[in-house]
Amino acid sequence: MESMTPLKRKQWDRALTFALFTLPALAAILISVEIPFLMSVFSSFTKWNGLDKAQTFIGLENYKELFLDDLDMWKAFGFTLRLTLGSVIVVNLCALLLAVLLDSDIRGKNALRAAFYVPNIVSLIIIGYIWRFIFSAGFESFFQASGLDFFMLSWLGDVNLVYFSVLMVSVWHSLGFYLVIYIAGLQTVPRDLIEASMIDGAGRLVRFFRITLPLIMSSITVSVFHSLSNGLKAFDVIFSLTNGGPGNSTTTIALDIYRTAFVINRFGYGTAKSVVLFLMILILSIFQVRLFKSREVEV
Amino acid sequence: MKKYTPASTITTLVLSLVAIFYLYPLFLVVINSFKTFSEITSNVLALPTSLVLENFSNAFRIMNYPQYFLNTLLATAVGVSGVVLVSSMAGYKLSRTKTRYSFVMFMVLIAPMMIPFHSFMISLVKVAKELHLIGSPLGLGVLYWGLGASLALFMYHGAVKSVPQELDDCALIDGAGPLRAFFQIIFPLLQPVTVSVIVINTMWMWNDFLLPLLVLSGSKKSLTLQLAAYNFFGLYKVDWNFAMAGVLLTILPAVIFYLSLQRYIIKGMVAGAVKT
Amino acid sequence: MKKMLFVVLAVLLAFGPLFAAGQQEQKAGPVTLNVLFYSPELAEQYNDMVAAYKAETGVTLDITVLQTDYRSVLTSRLNSGDVPDIFMSSAYADNSTYKDYVYDLTNEDFIKKIEPSALQGVTVDGKILGYPFLVQSHSFIYNKKVFADNGITTLPKTLADFEAVSKKLQANGVQPFATGFKEFWVLPQTAWQAIANVPAENYGGYENFVAKLNAGELKFKDIPQMSQLFDLLDLIKTYGGPKPNESDFNDQTSSLATGKVAMIHQGNWAEDSIRKTNPEVQIGFLVGPTGNTAATAGIMFDSNQTIRIAKDSKNLDAALAWLRWLTTSEYGRNWIPGKVKQLSPIIGAAAPDSQIAKETSALLASGTPGYPWFYQMFPTGTEQQLGAILQGYCAGITNRAQTLDALDSAYAKIAKAAQ
Repeated sequence: MESMTPLKRKQWDRALTFALFTLPALAAILISVEIPFLMSVFSSFTKWNGLDKAQTFIGLENYKELFLDDLDMWKAFGFTLRLTLGSVIVVNLCALLLAVLLDSDIRGKNALRAAFYVPNIVSLIIIGYIWRFIFSAGFESFFQASGLDFFMLSWLGDVNLVYFSVLMVSVWHSLGFYLVIYIAGLQTVPRDLIEASMIDGAGRLVRFFRITLPLIMSSITVSVFHSLSNGLKAFDVIFSLTNGGPGNSTTTIALDIYRTAFVINRFGYGTAKSVVLFLMILILSIFQVRLFKSREVEV
Repeated sequence: MKKYTPASTITTLVLSLVAIFYLYPLFLVVINSFKTFSEITSNVLALPTSLVLENFSNAFRIMNYPQYFLNTLLATAVGVSGVVLVSSMAGYKLSRTKTRYSFVMFMVLIAPMMIPFHSFMISLVKVAKELHLIGSPLGLGVLYWGLGASLALFMYHGAVKSVPQELDDCALIDGAGPLRAFFQIIFPLLQPVTVSVIVINTMWMWNDFLLPLLVLSGSKKSLTLQLAAYNFFGLYKVDWNFAMAGVLLTILPAVIFYLSLQRYIIKGMVAGAVKT
Repeated sequence: MKKMLFVVLAVLLAFGPLFAAGQQEQKAGPVTLNVLFYSPELAEQYNDMVAAYKAETGVTLDITVLQTDYRSVLTSRLNSGDVPDIFMSSAYADNSTYKDYVYDLTNEDFIKKIEPSALQGVTVDGKILGYPFLVQSHSFIYNKKVFADNGITTLPKTLADFEAVSKKLQANGVQPFATGFKEFWVLPQTAWQAIANVPAENYGGYENFVAKLNAGELKFKDIPQMSQLFDLLDLIKTYGGPKPNESDFNDQTSSLATGKVAMIHQGNWAEDSIRKTNPEVQIGFLVGPTGNTAATAGIMFDSNQTIRIAKDSKNLDAALAWLRWLTTSEYGRNWIPGKVKQLSPIIGAAAPDSQIAKETSALLASGTPGYPWFYQMFPTGTEQQLGAILQGYCAGITNRAQTLDALDSAYAKIAKAAQ
């Protein structure tokens, strides 16, 4: 150690500190996610039903089939993209708006924040059951009470309407989650900056767009990234609300993968699909994160 | 002190109305938890004719509530503390280090958010078995570190930007090692994010279903509340009255936890620190 | 610098005890069998049986009951080596799915006490790879009071009969069917019954039929009788109320129990839910129409739910002892008819106190065909995939020709992958 130059010593120290701070997270993530995933990736090059003790290596056959001969998967992907686009936009706009309102000086803030958050606490299996009740028995009662045709439409059975039903339930459930992130972000905005701008005579909207928004860009990045990934991975909402139906019209790609691996017992093929899904999410996310991070501002 | 403008009162009223509609589905869970099975199946929307408290006592008993509550608490507590610890450190360091390696590592560490759970869950169970993390809530909590770290890290990474870099150097100049500097000076300033990370992770870990199902189902004494509540939901027959009561018993601790944490997000903490 | 190293070591050391703590091996003592079952609707009955077995033998059965996630949990446990001693599956195609894990029961003494007809679903190349758990039947269940109140005295047997009955009910303001179409599994069980006689009559039996489909020699679009399958689905949908695609199992059982609808397509397992909703209800069993030939209309009667013993179980003898007890002991023989209230595969078992089970026996005794659940012979995974395609037909997504093509291509893919 004594033979190092001061500069080298400093670099070594810096590297060690860096390692100290980041290795625990790296170890945890490797163990819980990345190593298991790589193990699965190996399966994607095999023909395996997930149970047989022997796995047969078949190279890129699964990937070939996936790209050339699986219309159902690409239909599922198309639906997933539509659903994700809708949910990312709607949930982020609503959560941000609500966060701003619930961060300002109004009465009953805490109660309201809790109210909008609670649906996120309940697991999606139960959410699915409850909403199914509402769409069927509930709507029937509402129809009898109000006579509005709106309630007699088949919101879960009609192929043209089911997209909106799924979107609505998904947003309803996840709004609270992003609300938490946005409120936290709003609260890291230094109050003295806001006060200074008020002294300078800036109006509400100007304050929001010029000061607040750039400073909470990091929250927006996180939320958009998370809702984007979650949207593309959407499984629980669909599984409990429609089970991919009617027919396969609301089957998302995650549901398709689940079925391929566990229902049809084509485990190797299913893993290949999930590798492709991961790569698609990765590409979209790198693009999105780069774009948003460049707009983040440091104090 | 606080001046509530007329506009703000109207806002409160409008939002309250929205909130009432918003919570209607959960209101249904509550009223149905007090009904008998046939009352529920004949009309889900009706108010209960009498309060069937036996649903709760039965659900409580069938679900083995005290034991499973402790299991869920242990897994969640271990999971959340681990996540906060490892993610705050890593998020902070990666945000301050602006090299290409740092960006690559950042992407490697948040990549798990993009991987669908089903695609690696079987391998995860294998790995967990090798590391002897199966069959106990403690082991489950350890597995949660890697699963929750990515999002938390992402959040810390961004939040650190609102803490001025001068503070880092100030702390170091005072003679503290980097770890102490971080935990004593920087970490407290990230309180809103820490609280959010705690809330978010507590909620999903408390309600998590699939991973506990995979690693705990071999050991009856280790189950969590969600697993117990789920048993009321069959494919053919749902014990609706117990299921609704069970659901409420499961989410109630989480709601109470959330409400009590709300008070700890204190505004102006950051402003105070900067003014030094 | 040194301080940092200390901290790092401390953190790493902190992991150690945690790993050790997770390593709680089971202490040696009385045997506990680890069991993974589905059918959570039978949870109470499982518990009852476990208590009885423990009282008699001191052996504990630790049963985990799942439903929708059952397959993924079983797969992951079998994979990771955390094999349950006893588990459950379907018969027929699942014999090959789990072939690397099941114990061969052919030479066990208690197997001789099981009805041979119940064993056909678990026998492969002369080896018996599973233990038939229940004998079940499915067809159309009807509410006797609703029929009586609407003046329906002759029970329908053909498509034309069913249509006439439905028209009459509809005219009186009663919804004839609760479709159950939201559940992907209701569609296959409803639909395949409509051609249940075809494989035996035209294709040399069920095994030949399935073998030809698997080899690609036969396609669904080449089977002319598929039209009667679509006709039946159309009929149920037309007379299935305003939201036929949203009706699920819960809707079916509660609507039938309260008399809101007259008929549902379900099996004897539905009886418990129906009677729980309305304890006074009187239900009966109708045959499923096979086009317009009354003689071939029958019910689907088979043993599909199967108990399997893990070959690598560390408690193999204890597991076999349990099955023996289930088959031969006083409690065991009476468990399925008496507590589970379904038909038992054990020779000479009592008849259960179940309206549907009674009707099933009566129908079979009077010569009504009882068809095996031949669609369970299709490769694993077809039930869900073909069910979803049929569901799409009912939702109007595909027409008959497109549906047939979709059925053929989905089947071909699964069959190819299963080889």
